[in-house]
Amino acid sequence: MGKSFLTYVIQRIAQCLLVVIIGITITFLIPRFSPTDPVEAVVNRAMMMGQFSHPDAVEMMKDALTKLYGLDGTLGQQYVRFWRGLLSGDLGPSLSSFPKPVMSLIRGSLPWTGALLLTTAIIAWVTGNMLGALAGYYADKRWSHVLSIIAMSLHPIPYYIMAFVLLVLLAYVIPVFPLGGAVAIGLKPGFNWIYISSILRHAFLPALSLVLVGIGGWFVGMRALVTNIVSEDYVTYAEYAGVPNRTIMYQYVMKNALLPQITGLAMQLGLIFNGALITEYVFNYPGLGYLAYSAIFAGDYSLIMGVAVFSIIGVSLAVLLVDLAYPLFDPRVKHQ
Amino acid sequence: MSVLRIQNLQAYYQSTLYGVTRNVKAVDGVSLDLRANEIYGIAGESSCGKTSLIKVVFGAIKPPLTIIGGRVLYQINDRDFDITQTNDETLRQMRWKQVSYILQGSMSLLNPVRRVRKTFWDFTKAHEPVIEPEKFEATTREHLNRLGLPAEVLDSYPHQLSGGMKQRVAIALATIFQPKVILADEPTTALDVVVQRGVLQLLRRIQQETKNTLVIVTHDMGIHANIADRVGIMYAGRIVEEGTVKHIFSEPRHPYTKHLIQSLPKIGDKSKRQSIPGAPPNLADPPAGCRFHPRCPYAKPICSVQTPELSPIQDERRVACFLLTKENAHVS
Repeated sequence: MGKSFLTYVIQRIAQCLLVVIIGITITFLIPRFSPTDPVEAVVNRAMMMGQFSHPDAVEMMKDALTKLYGLDGTLGQQYVRFWRGLLSGDLGPSLSSFPKPVMSLIRGSLPWTGALLLTTAIIAWVTGNMLGALAGYYADKRWSHVLSIIAMSLHPIPYYIMAFVLLVLLAYVIPVFPLGGAVAIGLKPGFNWIYISSILRHAFLPALSLVLVGIGGWFVGMRALVTNIVSEDYVTYAEYAGVPNRTIMYQYVMKNALLPQITGLAMQLGLIFNGALITEYVFNYPGLGYLAYSAIFAGDYSLIMGVAVFSIIGVSLAVLLVDLAYPLFDPRVKHQ
Repeated sequence: MSVLRIQNLQAYYQSTLYGVTRNVKAVDGVSLDLRANEIYGIAGESSCGKTSLIKVVFGAIKPPLTIIGGRVLYQINDRDFDITQTNDETLRQMRWKQVSYILQGSMSLLNPVRRVRKTFWDFTKAHEPVIEPEKFEATTREHLNRLGLPAEVLDSYPHQLSGGMKQRVAIALATIFQPKVILADEPTTALDVVVQRGVLQLLRRIQQETKNTLVIVTHDMGIHANIADRVGIMYAGRIVEEGTVKHIFSEPRHPYTKHLIQSLPKIGDKSKRQSIPGAPPNLADPPAGCRFHPRCPYAKPICSVQTPELSPIQDERRVACFLLTKENAHVS
């Protein structure tokens, strides 16, 4: 197995790299084929302010901007330069908050989004699946029906509606939580209780809105999977043989039902780099989603591309990890 | 000596829809007497109530299956009990130690994500909670060895085993405690004939070694001819004829059995096989009287009015037909 496993891993990594390269190439090309010219847009904006500029000065400005944006030279040259920059961790300056580099903007937003989405995704996954499995296994119990009804009413609510409802309810009508932001304004960052509790208080509502809807989704999926597996022959056989309910529930039912859910979780974790766009917007949360949102509105090509590049890498890595880790969960899957 | 007596057992699938109760009479008045050290075959076409009968005998009664009447009496180790009256805990203790059940669907009886050893461990542990791993390993290996199975299967996952091996493992799992009664529902149906032979030999070997009672339920008359000592023919929820395998095959008496035996292919006989006209009745609304009378070429007026009892006509032979019972002998 040793050798074939290694070749499999190498192949799989190569495949992943290919996907990343193609994805990034496409994101590189799309704005360049679009009819809007970012340089022209900036110059026009400057002209609209009513200032008179000498045509030569305008030309010079255009040249400078073109160079800055990496838009000089042929497409091929631009492409090579783009990759060289990317590999050395430089995505160029942001156009809307010039001259701040895109990289530092992303670096500023990533921890907020990462922490918020990672915790909510894991909390929602664990609770949703546990409750869903229990509700599916004990489907004829009363509490199971109650849980199902709650989950089924939570599940279809769009997460941004949930965000609005929570915001209005718990920040405006009953003002227990702050209206927005990631931390109280004017607080000095530091490893102390005041600062951390402020972060937690600010993150609570966005997290709650994501967790509630997430639990609903995982619950509904898991319950459906479990109700199917409960009627499988191997479960009936073990029941007839007197195997205790706990063993059947965990080893016979849940272990089989969790397999598709693991894939789902990994995909969701990969999407963290997209941020929770609307949630972050509603709560004014300075994460990647918020960043992407403002970049789109400001026409900030290089920032949009920066966020897209991270998201491409994130999703591809998550898929790669699931593929490599899957045989640990399902003995039927082998590396070949 | 009888081990299991089924007395006038009635078990229906009950469902209520819009206040109307519907009964599917899957088992309707079955009486059987199973002895120690025999292989008893239950034959009959699909949906005649074979599996339902076995489920009730095993005590696996879950709604909509409901016991309407009758008793299922086990006599094991000088202990008598009626499975329709026992509580869950007694049932749990009795299962596998005294009675085990090999379900239909041999391909899917093993958990796909669990090694076979773990499944053996689960099944053993359920009845011997304090067994040590070393002792478990030794007894399990000895058990597999006795059945002629390689001990390597313990390290495998089910998908690494062939269909025949999976079925053998399922049988091995059902016999770890050498139960007095083994109920096997279609144990060979998904297998090809060569593998079938091996599985049947395995079942017979287990039976001969432990001198227990093996009940085989299958529609395949060939298997009954091969392995059974006595055969009961089931039709529409009732046993219509019972006898030794030799008698059933050489001189069937009930008109249904006659048709059944005649429809079997024989080597060298190229004549066309006759099928029984009509279709088996809907068990939600079975015909009155003898359930076979609408399809029976010898039906008499009495057949559609009265239900014939399963009565002895000679040694080891019972038939439920008015054409054959003594008091109605003048009719025939």
